[in-house]
Amino acid sequence: MSENSIISTTNLNLWYNEKHALQSVSIRVPKNRVTALIGPSGCGKSTLLRCFNRLNDLIDNVKITGEIKLDDENIHAPATDVVTLRKKVGMVFQKPNPFPKTIYENVAYGPRVHGVRDKAELDKIVEQSLRHAAIWDEVKERIHDSALGLSGGQQQRLCIARTLAVEPEVILMDEPCSALDPIATAKIENLIERLKEDYTVIIVTHNMQQAARVSDYTGFMYLGKLIECGKTRQIFEHPKEELTENYITGRFG
Amino acid sequence: MAEKFHTELKKLKADTLKMAQLGRFMLRTGVDALIRQDKELAASVDARKVEIHDMEVRIEEQCYQLVALNQPMAKDMRIIACTLKVITASLRIGRYGKSIANTVADLSTKPHIANLMSIPHMADLAIDMVDDAIAAYESDNLRLIEDLSSRDDTIDALRHSIFREGITYMMEDPKNISRCTHYIMVARYLERCADHACKIAENVQYMETGERVEIH
Repeated sequence: MSENSIISTTNLNLWYNEKHALQSVSIRVPKNRVTALIGPSGCGKSTLLRCFNRLNDLIDNVKITGEIKLDDENIHAPATDVVTLRKKVGMVFQKPNPFPKTIYENVAYGPRVHGVRDKAELDKIVEQSLRHAAIWDEVKERIHDSALGLSGGQQQRLCIARTLAVEPEVILMDEPCSALDPIATAKIENLIERLKEDYTVIIVTHNMQQAARVSDYTGFMYLGKLIECGKTRQIFEHPKEELTENYITGRFG
Repeated sequence: MAEKFHTELKKLKADTLKMAQLGRFMLRTGVDALIRQDKELAASVDARKVEIHDMEVRIEEQCYQLVALNQPMAKDMRIIACTLKVITASLRIGRYGKSIANTVADLSTKPHIANLMSIPHMADLAIDMVDDAIAAYESDNLRLIEDLSSRDDTIDALRHSIFREGITYMMEDPKNISRCTHYIMVARYLERCADHACKIAENVQYMETGERVEIH
C-alpha cells in the first residue's frame, strides 16, 4: 500500500489470557479510504478493530505487545489520553445502540462531553452530523422524539451521526449492517462511500460481497494472523495466497 | 451452498469441454471431408451447426445464472469469465469447420490442385493447437499452451505460403481461380481457428493465474 497511512500496526500481538488472538499483525490503513477486514468467525478481525481505539483495555487479562500508531503516534504511549483517542477513532457497532434519549440528545451527547455548551453551536453540529449520516431528511421534523422510535436502519445511521458529531479521523465499523435489511444495508453502504471523502473507514464484515462492494482495501485474517492485505480488486479477482482464495471462494469458513 | 456451487461449476466446465470438443470435431471432419472430397461427410458437419449453437446459448445462460445466484469471486469468477470466452471461440471453430465443409461441393468435381498444397499439414497444426488449448482448460496444465505463440507464427507463415502458391496456380490457368480462391479461404479459416486456440489459451492463463497475457 503506497498511499499515506493513518493507522498502522507493527508486530501486534494480543492475548486473552492464554489465547493468542492476534499474532504479529502488521497492517497499514490508508487515509481517506475504506479498508475491510474479512475472515471466518474468531479470526481476530473484531479484536484488531477494537485495538485501534483501545476498547480491549476494558477487558480483563488482555496482554498486548507490538505497536499501534495513529498519525505516527503510539496509542499505547503513557501520554496518550484514551478519551481523546476515542474521539479521533469512533466506533459503530453491530447492533444499533442509541441512548434512550431523543435523536438530538444522542448526537449532542459527544460534543457536550467534549465541552461544547453553546446551543446554536450544538444545533449546528447535530444538523451537520445527521446530514452527513444521510438521515437528516428523515428525522428533521422529529429530532426531539425518542431515538428508540426509529427503525433499525435509521438507528444505525443515527449511531453513525453520533460518531461523526465529535469529528473523528477514523470510523471503525464492526458488522454495521448485519442486523439490517437489504434496503437499510444499501443506505449504510452508500453512506460509507461518501464518508471516505472526509474520514478513514475500517469495516469488519463477514459478508464478502459487502467487503467487495464498499472497500478500497481488504485484509484477510485467519486464526489471528493477517494473511493477505491489498487492493480489494486484487484480493477478490486474484488473491496471492491460497488461503485467501479458498476462503473467498467458500471452500472453508 | 459453496459445495453445490462448486458442483455446478464442475458441470459447467464439463459441458464447455463437450462443446469445445464438438467444435474441434466439426473442424477436423470438415477438413477430412475436403481432403477426401466426401460430400456426405461434409453434409454431416453442416448438420451439427444448430447443436453447437444451442450448446453455446445454454452454457452462456448457465454462466449468468451462476454469477447472479452465487456472486463468485477469485478463481471461481475467473473460471466463469474464461468459460464465456471459450464457448465463443469454440462456436467459431465449429463454424469454420462448417465453412470448410461447405467448400466440398465446389471442390469435389475434379482432383485437388497440388494435393491441396499445405492445407492438410496446416490443418493438423491448427487442430493440435485447438486440442492443447482445450486440454489446458480441462486440466489446468499451462505447459500445454506454453509454445502456442510460436506455433501460431508457423500457421501464419503457412497461410501466406498457401496464398502465394494459390496465386501462382491462378496465374497459370484462370480455370483454377475458383478452386484456388476456396483454398485461400480455407487457409484463412484455419488461421482464424489457430487464433481462437490462442484466445482460449490466454483465457486459461487468466483463469489459472489471474494474469493477462497476449498470445498471438
